[in-house]
Amino acid sequence: MTNRIQIGIIFIIVNLSFGYLVYPNLVYGLVKIAHWEVVICQCFLQMILIWIYIRGLGYFQGNDVIDIYLKMGRWAAIIFLSPFVINLVTLVALNIRMHTEVIISIFLPRTPYWSIMILFFFISTYTAIKGIGTILRSSVFIFFIVIPLVVFSFFTSVVNFDLHNVTPSWYSPHKFLSNVKFYYLLGFSSFLFLGFFSFDKKITFRQLFVSCLGVALFFLSVVYIPLFIFGQETVVTLTTPFYEAMDSVDISWFSFNRQAIFFGISLVGLVILANAVMFWMIGRIMKKMFTFRTVKSSYWIIAFSVCAFILAIYVPNKYLIEKYFLWCTSAQAYFMIIIPFTIFIYGFLTKRGNLGYEK
Amino acid sequence: MKNNKRFKLLIVFMSMLLLSGCWNIKDINKRSLPLVMGISKEEGKEYKLSLQIPILENENQISKVVTGKGETVASILGQIRTNSEDAVDYSQIRLIVIQSNLAHNQQEFKELIKFLMVSEEIPSRALVAISDENVEDVLANISEKLGVQATSIYDFFNKGSDWAPEIFSISIWELYRSSYLYTKDIAIPVVRSGKDTVLVFEGSDILKNGNIIERISPHESQLINVFQNENEKGKIESLGFASLMVTNSSIKNKISMRNNKPHVSSDLNLKIYILERDNGITDKRIRKELEKLIEKRFYIILKKTQGRQADIFGFGQQFQHVLSYHELKDWRDEYYPKLKVNFKVHANME
Repeated sequence: MTNRIQIGIIFIIVNLSFGYLVYPNLVYGLVKIAHWEVVICQCFLQMILIWIYIRGLGYFQGNDVIDIYLKMGRWAAIIFLSPFVINLVTLVALNIRMHTEVIISIFLPRTPYWSIMILFFFISTYTAIKGIGTILRSSVFIFFIVIPLVVFSFFTSVVNFDLHNVTPSWYSPHKFLSNVKFYYLLGFSSFLFLGFFSFDKKITFRQLFVSCLGVALFFLSVVYIPLFIFGQETVVTLTTPFYEAMDSVDISWFSFNRQAIFFGISLVGLVILANAVMFWMIGRIMKKMFTFRTVKSSYWIIAFSVCAFILAIYVPNKYLIEKYFLWCTSAQAYFMIIIPFTIFIYGFLTKRGNLGYEK
Repeated sequence: MKNNKRFKLLIVFMSMLLLSGCWNIKDINKRSLPLVMGISKEEGKEYKLSLQIPILENENQISKVVTGKGETVASILGQIRTNSEDAVDYSQIRLIVIQSNLAHNQQEFKELIKFLMVSEEIPSRALVAISDENVEDVLANISEKLGVQATSIYDFFNKGSDWAPEIFSISIWELYRSSYLYTKDIAIPVVRSGKDTVLVFEGSDILKNGNIIERISPHESQLINVFQNENEKGKIESLGFASLMVTNSSIKNKISMRNNKPHVSSDLNLKIYILERDNGITDKRIRKELEKLIEKRFYIILKKTQGRQADIFGFGQQFQHVLSYHELKDWRDEYYPKLKVNFKVHANME
């Protein structure tokens, strides 16, 4: 029972950590009006994919994604999952680097980025090595620290709202659905880790539905808070609109003079946990895929986190980080479509095959 | 067991990583925190930048004004940092006073605002004011009268509608936004140094797309605030034969499009309280005179701003759901000059 709640919580945390930074910029670039349609479409697409994914996993009781691919054959597993691992490593590297840049601009202007990155890499690698139990338990802990901060910063930003900055309107969805950028957005909805748990009881879509709604609400507010404060015309000129929106808040009676600090602290909590989840996925895939050498999964995790760290250090500037990050999320979006569908189709076929065989 | 101990030791040592947050840190007593910044530039000359910095000297808290000259604002900030005895931390600046001749130079003013917004160190929450006087004198006056307490300059601009409805504050991010918005223009408060008080509020400058076009009086800027849904409560009006105080106000706007021309009918309801009057003046006359006065004030500003295509009242914002986004792009040039406003004031006794 607790496991289900914890899974819902970690789902929210991983999505939150991805949504803050590049997500609003993408949405503003995609449409000028009716941003809510884009967000709702993306969340709806995510829900459909999750439904297919969970359906597909449901055909194999007690197995996780890696087991299913191994059933298809070792080569299938290597073909599908090794690019996925590479993608995850680059995603971790760029994600941490990007968050580090924002944290430096919020409250550590004189610290070099590598020293902050060592801290992040160390804590997330450590959490990942400790296993899924630790990740789930710490997720509850971080959730209750971070969510009040997030909600608080959302509510305080209301003082700067000008409701007239947003045009209430309708925009025909086919225009942005055919745009490639929309599929970048899909890469921000991370749910693939759901298939890596191997519980006796399978998670059902209904349990995740509330978390999905929460995430949709969060994405809406991340997009709309800068819009209400700055307006579409201004928002496209800013590099980190959400941070600027938080920084514009000035409450004279409040003892902290910068609301953006809260935003920064919540980013730290989220990024550590989201990366721990990705490291854990890498460790699990590598351990199960290469059984000919008995290497502990913790060694895999450490090796890949060192790789990611080196990669993160070698990205020269902010502009390139964002560009590479977008490539990375689009690759992620590709896996988000491929993996659920292959599992669903394979599960469907084997089930039919079994039935046919029994008769 | 031994291995486990070593691991624990490693964890303890790794907590030293948290020290990276203290990189190149300067304690608060080793920092100078400027609170007010003044920027000016004579035509064709260099930028001049003054900072008001509180300093601690033998338990005495005094403040000084530091001035530098240079090609760009950024270079002066660096120069002041080099020459200062402590590390100068610009993150606590509360007010930026800009000399009006610099503010009237469209190109330079726009670039300045962009620089202040993008700069990571200068907070985008800092307030902005314009002064006709030499900014060095304004800062010297602030330094002399407020000294270390200069943070309270924030309260000068934010007294609240109940106390001083004329005055208002504009921060850097609002200025930056106003140079991009299609449908709304803003006003910046104009101040000068006072003889007894620190600052004197002189009115405000209307900005169109980030360019200053017109100076208006405190009464007129208060009327603009009313259209931003600010309460007029506490405002004292003098009609010559009577004076009165507004105790409550509310505004209702109704918008419509007629033959592709925007139309607004707006009703301002005032509750008034008569403070003093000459003999034989009836309530009715006071009410009528007040209504006439405020309506006249409104139409004067409207005519001025329509001529210059600056939508200072933000009427365009209300047409967001009537016109499409592409039509709003041309709001200032196409629609706003044709805008008809039917402004009515209804004054009632309390």
